[in-house]
Amino acid sequence: MVETKKIFSQKQVLSWMCILIAVLPLAIPNMNFHHVMIMFVIFAALGQSWNIITGFAGQTSFGHAAFFGIGAYTSSVLFWKYMVSPWVGMLLGALIAMGVAVIVSYPCFQLKGHYFAIATLAIGEIIQQIFVSWEYVEGATGISLPILPEGFLQLQFHQSKLPYFYIAYVLFVLVIVVAYGIEHSKMGYYLKAIRESQEAGEAIGINPTRYKLFAMMISSFMTAIFGSLYAQYILYIDPFMVFSLPLSMKIVLLTVLGGLGTLYGPIIGAAILIPLSEYTRILFGGTGKGIDLIIFGLLVVLVACYQPKGMIGLFGGWARKGQRTGGEKGE
Amino acid sequence: MILQIIVSGILMGFVYSLVAVGLTLTWGVLDIINFAHGEFLMMGMYSAFWMYSLFGMDPLLSIPFAMGIVFVMGYFTYRLIIKKVINAPGLTALLATFGLSLLLRNLAQFIWSPNYRFINQSIVMDKKIVLGSITLGVPQMVAAISSIVMTMAVFYFVEKTKTGRAIQATALDKNTAKLMGIHTEKIYALTFGISGACVGIAGALTATFFPIHPESGALYSLLAFVIVALGGFGNIKGALYSAIIIGITEALGGFLFGTQFKYALVFLIYLIVIQIKPKGLFGW
Amino acid sequence: MKKIFMVLLAGLLVFSLALSGCAKQQVQQSAQPEQAKTPEEKVDVVKIGAIFPLTGSAASTGVKLKYAVETAEEIINGEHPELDMPLAREAGLPNLGNAKVKFIFADHQANPEVAKSEAERLIQNEKVVGLIGCYHSSATKPASQVAERFRIPFVAGSSSSAALTERGLEYFTRIAPNDDMETAFFFEYLKYLNATYDAGIKTIGVAYIDNEYGVHAAQMVDKWLKDKYQGEGFEKVVDVKYPKDLSNVDTEVQKIKAAKPDAIFHASYIGDITQFVKKYKEFDVVPKAVVNYCGGFQDPQFVVNLGKDADFFSGSNATAPSLFAKMDTLNKINEIYKKKSGVDFDGPALEDFASAMVIADAINQAGTIDSQKVMEAIKSAVFEAPYFVSGKIKFGKNGQNEYSASVMVQTQNGKYEAVWPVDYQTAEPIPTFPAWKNR
Repeated sequence: MVETKKIFSQKQVLSWMCILIAVLPLAIPNMNFHHVMIMFVIFAALGQSWNIITGFAGQTSFGHAAFFGIGAYTSSVLFWKYMVSPWVGMLLGALIAMGVAVIVSYPCFQLKGHYFAIATLAIGEIIQQIFVSWEYVEGATGISLPILPEGFLQLQFHQSKLPYFYIAYVLFVLVIVVAYGIEHSKMGYYLKAIRESQEAGEAIGINPTRYKLFAMMISSFMTAIFGSLYAQYILYIDPFMVFSLPLSMKIVLLTVLGGLGTLYGPIIGAAILIPLSEYTRILFGGTGKGIDLIIFGLLVVLVACYQPKGMIGLFGGWARKGQRTGGEKGE
Repeated sequence: MILQIIVSGILMGFVYSLVAVGLTLTWGVLDIINFAHGEFLMMGMYSAFWMYSLFGMDPLLSIPFAMGIVFVMGYFTYRLIIKKVINAPGLTALLATFGLSLLLRNLAQFIWSPNYRFINQSIVMDKKIVLGSITLGVPQMVAAISSIVMTMAVFYFVEKTKTGRAIQATALDKNTAKLMGIHTEKIYALTFGISGACVGIAGALTATFFPIHPESGALYSLLAFVIVALGGFGNIKGALYSAIIIGITEALGGFLFGTQFKYALVFLIYLIVIQIKPKGLFGW
Repeated sequence: MKKIFMVLLAGLLVFSLALSGCAKQQVQQSAQPEQAKTPEEKVDVVKIGAIFPLTGSAASTGVKLKYAVETAEEIINGEHPELDMPLAREAGLPNLGNAKVKFIFADHQANPEVAKSEAERLIQNEKVVGLIGCYHSSATKPASQVAERFRIPFVAGSSSSAALTERGLEYFTRIAPNDDMETAFFFEYLKYLNATYDAGIKTIGVAYIDNEYGVHAAQMVDKWLKDKYQGEGFEKVVDVKYPKDLSNVDTEVQKIKAAKPDAIFHASYIGDITQFVKKYKEFDVVPKAVVNYCGGFQDPQFVVNLGKDADFFSGSNATAPSLFAKMDTLNKINEIYKKKSGVDFDGPALEDFASAMVIADAINQAGTIDSQKVMEAIKSAVFEAPYFVSGKIKFGKNGQNEYSASVMVQTQNGKYEAVWPVDYQTAEPIPTFPAWKNR
C-alpha cells in the first residue's frame, strides 16, 4: 500500500467524526433512526471503554457486561425503590462498578493471556447469577422503571429521542476525550509497553499491576455509566439482558471489527455493526429464518479474513500513524 | 444419594471432556480460541440426527459419519478462514470464529428449522445399569467409555506418532518446526480437522440423550472453555481430568447450594484454582 | 488480497447503503398515506404489528406463532363462509369498506431492548394501528410500554406473567390466563383427582427454570398454598430451581426423587422438560401427577420427541387436538394452520391467533383505525371466539381476559386429551403414573 500523507491530525479527524455524529440525527428526523443512533453512540462508547483495558493494556476482558449491568442495576434500583435521581445512581453505579473491578481483577492480573480472558468470562457469569438470584433487585423478573413525566432530572423523555441521544452523545464525547488523554499521556505509553511485553515494562521500572488496575478502573467506571443510561432509555432491565455474555461479546466484536487499540476502532466498528444488525433484522428478521444473523456472521468472517487489523486498516495513513506511535514507545 | 450424585457428575464430566479435548488441541497448537467449537458440536449432533431420521441409523453407528463430516468442516475452517487470521494481531481470530459461530448457528436454523429434535431410538436408549443404590445411564456410560478411549487415542497420536510429534513441534515453535522441514500449514489444518473429528464424535454421542437444536452447542462450548483453561491449554489429559472435576463440582455443588448455582460454582472453582495455579492444573 | 478486500468492502458498503435506503424508502412510503389520511377517508390496508422471538432459543415457538397469526390474516382477508366466526365470511373488514388486514412481523430475539425498538419502529415507521405479541413476558413488558406511550392498543396472546396486567396500563390486554389463574386451576384439578379418583395427592414439588416465567410461577404456587390450599392439606416438599441454560438435570432429578412429591409442578421449556422426562425414567421417579405451566409440555414436539415416555403428563392448555372433533370451527381453522405449519394448533399458537382475531375484530367493530375508539371497543366488547372452549373473550378492567380458555390436557397414547373440566372431557384422566417399567 502506498504511504499516504498525513493531512489531518488525529484530533482533527476525531473532531470531525464527532461533529458528523452530532448532526446526523438532526438531518434525519426519524425515530427509528434516532434509536439506531443512540445504540451506536452507546456501543461506540462501550467499545472505547473496553478498548482501554484490552486494546491499550492488552488484557482481554470477556466480562464487561458485569460492569454495564452493575451500572444499570444501581441507578435503576435507587430510582425505583427510593426515587433517587438516575444521575446520582449513575455516578454511584460507576463507583460501585469500579470497586468491583478492583476487587475481582486485582487477583486476576497475575494471569496471562487466555487464562485472564476466561477468568473475566467466569466473573461475568457469576455476577449474572448473583443478580438472577437476588430477590432484593427482583431477581430474574427484572425491574420495570416507573414512568414519570419528562425531565432532565429523572432522565426520561417520551416525546422525542433526541434528548437521550444528546445526553448519550455528550458522555460519548467525554469518553473519547478520556481515551485520547490516556493514549497521549504517560499512562498510555506505559499501558502499551505492558501490552507488548510485561517483563520489558517491569525492567524499565513500570509497575504493571498498578497501571493495569488504573486502566480497569477507568474502563469499568465508564462502562457502568452507559449501563445506567441504557437502563434509563429502555426503562426495563433484567439480568439476562444487561449481564449477558452476548453483550460482552458484542462490545469485543465491534471494537475488534473496527480496529483494536485505536481510538477510531470502536467508532468505526459500532458505525458498521449497530446499523447493520438493526437494519438486517428489520428487513429479514420478520421471516423467522435467521437470515439477518446469517448475513451478519458472514460479514464478520469476511472482515476478519480480509482486513485482519479491523476496518481501520483501510484508512491507511492515520491508522498506521496511531499504531506506530504506540509501537515505538512500547519498544 | 450423595454417591449417586457424584457418579452422575463423573459421567457428565466425561461427556464434557469429549467436547473439551478437541478444543484444547486447537487452543494449544494454534493458540486461538475457537468460538465456533460449540457449533461444531451442534453439527455433529445434527449429522447423527439426520442419519437416524433419514436412514434409521443408530447414533452410535453414525459416529464415523459425524466424525468425518466435522473433520472436513474443521479442515476447511482452517483452510478458508483461520489461515488468514492466524498471524493477525490481537483478537482477529476470535472475531472470525465468532462470526463463523453465528453463521453456522443461524444456517442450521434456516435449513433445519429451530425445532428441538430428539433421537428416541438407539440401542443404548433408556438402558441403565443398577448397582445397588446407584443408577448408571447407558448412554452416558457409553459416552464416558468413548471419552476415555478417544482421549487416549488422541494422546497416543500426539505423543507417539510422527505426525503427532510434528504437531507438538509446531505448537512449541512454528518457525523452528518449519526449518526442520515440517509442513506447518498442513499440520495446522490437520489439527483443526482432528479437533473437529473429536467434537463430531462428541456430537453423535450426546445426541443419544440431549435435545438437538441450533443452540445446543452453546453451553457445552462455554463449559469447555473453562475446562480447557482449568486443565491448562493444550494439555489433553488435563482436559480430561478437569472435565471430571467440573462434572463433580456441578453435580455436588448444585445439590448442596441449589441447582440454579451449578454453573456459577463451576466458574467459581476455576477462579479459585487459577489463583493457586495460574496456568491451570496441569499447565506448563 | 487488498484488491479482493476492496471489492468486498465496496459490496458491503453498497449493501448497507441499500439497506438503509430500503429502510428509508419504507418510511417514505408509509409516511405519505399518513399525510393524505383523514379520519373519514377509506383505508385500504390496516397494518398490525406482530413481535415474536423468531431467532434464538425460542425461535421454534416463535415461528409457530407467526404461522398462527398468518392463519388469522388469511381468515380475515379471504372469504371463508364455512367458518362460523366474525370476519371470516367476508373478505377484509366489512365496516371499513372491506379493508385488508396486514400483519407486519418483527423479531425480538428474546431481547427486551429489541422488543422495545421494534415496537417503536412498527408504530412510527410502519404506522401500525395495533400490536400483538411477544410470547416472552420480559419482551412484552417494554413493548407494551411503548404502545401505551403512543396510545396504540396492545393485545398480548400467550405471555403469561401475572405482573403484566398489574401495571395499570390502559392500552394493554391479554388473552392467556396468567400464571396466577393457572396455579389455582392446577390445585383444583388435583383436588378433583383426589375427590373423584381417590388419588391421594398431598405433597407437591416445584421444578422451574430460573427466569421470569419459572420464578413467577413458583411464587404463585407459594402464594396459593399460603392463601388457600395449605389449609386443604397440600404441602410443598421440594423446590428445584435450575439454570436457564442446562446441560443435564441429574442433580435436579435426584433432589426431586429424594423428596418423593405426589405431584410435580413444572415451569419448563421444551428442551428442559425433555431432559427431565428422560431422567425421571432413568432414575425411576414415579410421582402421581405432573402438571405443566404453559410452556414446553404443550409443544407438540414433546410427544414427537419422547414417544411413549411422554404419556401421562398433564398441563393447562388453551386447546388440544382431541378437542378438534368436538369443535367444528376450530377444526377448520386448524386445517388452514396445519397447511402452513405442518403441525396441529397448540395452546400458545391458538392464543396468539386469538389476539390477532380480537384486534382485527375490535377495529372492525369500531369502524375506524382511530386507536382510542379501537381501545374502547377492545375493552367493552364481548368477542365471539368459537375456537376457545370458553367460546368468548372479554377483558376485565386490568386488561386480563376474564374467560379462562384453559383445559387440563393429559398425554395418553401419544395424544393430548382434554381431561378436565368435565364438560370438555375427551378422555378420562389417568390419575396416577404407572411405574416406568410397566409402560
